[in-house]
Amino acid sequence: MRIRAIAAAATLAIAALPAHAQFRLDLNRAIDTAKNIGKATTQMTEAQEIDLGKQWAATLLGAAPLMAHPELQSYVNALGRWISLHSERPDLPWQFGVLESDNINAFATPGGFILVTKGLVARMKSEAELAGVLGHEITHVIQKHHLKAIQKGAGLQAGANILSEFTAKGRNQAVADRLVGGIKELMLRGLDKDDEFESDRMGVVLAARAGYDPYGLPAVLQMLNAMSASDSELALMFSTHPEPSARLDTLERVMGSQLDRFPGRPGSRQFEKLVLGK
Amino acid sequence: MKIRYLIGICFLLCAAVAQAQDSGVAARATEILKDPSADSAVVGRLQEAAAVKVHARQGGWMRIESANGNGWVRLLAIRTTIGSAPSTQARGGFLSFLSRPSTGGGQTVTTGVRGLDKEQIQNARPNTAELQKMAGFAASKPEAERFGASAGLSRQQIGYLKPPAASAGQ
Repeated sequence: MRIRAIAAAATLAIAALPAHAQFRLDLNRAIDTAKNIGKATTQMTEAQEIDLGKQWAATLLGAAPLMAHPELQSYVNALGRWISLHSERPDLPWQFGVLESDNINAFATPGGFILVTKGLVARMKSEAELAGVLGHEITHVIQKHHLKAIQKGAGLQAGANILSEFTAKGRNQAVADRLVGGIKELMLRGLDKDDEFESDRMGVVLAARAGYDPYGLPAVLQMLNAMSASDSELALMFSTHPEPSARLDTLERVMGSQLDRFPGRPGSRQFEKLVLGK
Repeated sequence: MKIRYLIGICFLLCAAVAQAQDSGVAARATEILKDPSADSAVVGRLQEAAAVKVHARQGGWMRIESANGNGWVRLLAIRTTIGSAPSTQARGGFLSFLSRPSTGGGQTVTTGVRGLDKEQIQNARPNTAELQKMAGFAASKPEAERFGASAGLSRQQIGYLKPPAASAGQ
């Protein structure tokens, strides 16, 4: 029963994409996947994962558009893509963006779409801090944390109810709406707390592999820890992540002095120019 | 009007500088070192929960001032105090575009927080035009390699850290 719900939810995620040409998926392939998915719930193809991630990112961009700052957007892409090259999935079509939002948050979606808010970037002090946050988000993608959340049925399970209708009539707007509803529910619920800790633990290493000071992410967590949890700009992030102090406690235990040998380098001058205004 | 605006900016900048110093407490007892290095001389000790002022960060170290001495302690031995961060960082680079109106989203600027709170995500409709715009900024692998090289960054061979052992009795 649980497997069937999982299969239905995952199939919906795969199949109920909107009618835009770039999202079009072969319906038969999706149905085949639905039949097989009970045997291997984790085997969403990479193409399907990317299509789901595009829909997910488009939903986020519907809540807040990109900042109108092409130079900053290009810079974040170069930096993020550089870090992604040191991950286990360097060939995904990684894309990065800064959202026009004063809220403080960062998001990853399946397939390699990563968005950070202006409010978060504005509070950073160095490129290493941005590298650490991007490393955390990249880890969500390479570890497929969102797909795990979908398989748990969180959010998308409601959409499973209309799967039979969908397969009979083909793609329709109501199904696409239900998928977007499921994505939103997952975004508001957040990922598994252990997956957040894993992203911290692996994110510091990804930043360090890319040549940065591994303590950029801990420095951002210290900054967040010093902000009030009641601050409206932080409400969503605090409701979807473990407390910064718990994340710092965990990083202290796992990092120890192991990364002292990798002090890292400051990186490009672009952060100072574009963000710090120096 | 313009003058008043400029005065406002100056005030914000001054306030940000004045508040730039974080306060914190020691998460555990720890040594204060002369330099940001594990083999540096010990110049003092912090008790757990001792108050500190944080003046700077360098790698995994913070330069602190405390009743028990001034020097460097491990960044992860300190927890910055809630409420000690400035609410906004008014800075040259971002100051100019923090005040820039957003494009394409149609939001008003009457509220302090735009986008990405709970209600705004709930009400969001997928924006494929913005998604296409995002794709237009993507960097290729060779471009990313060139970025790394020009920034003086080189690949480090580092394994992932082990997850924390299940902590009994905590």
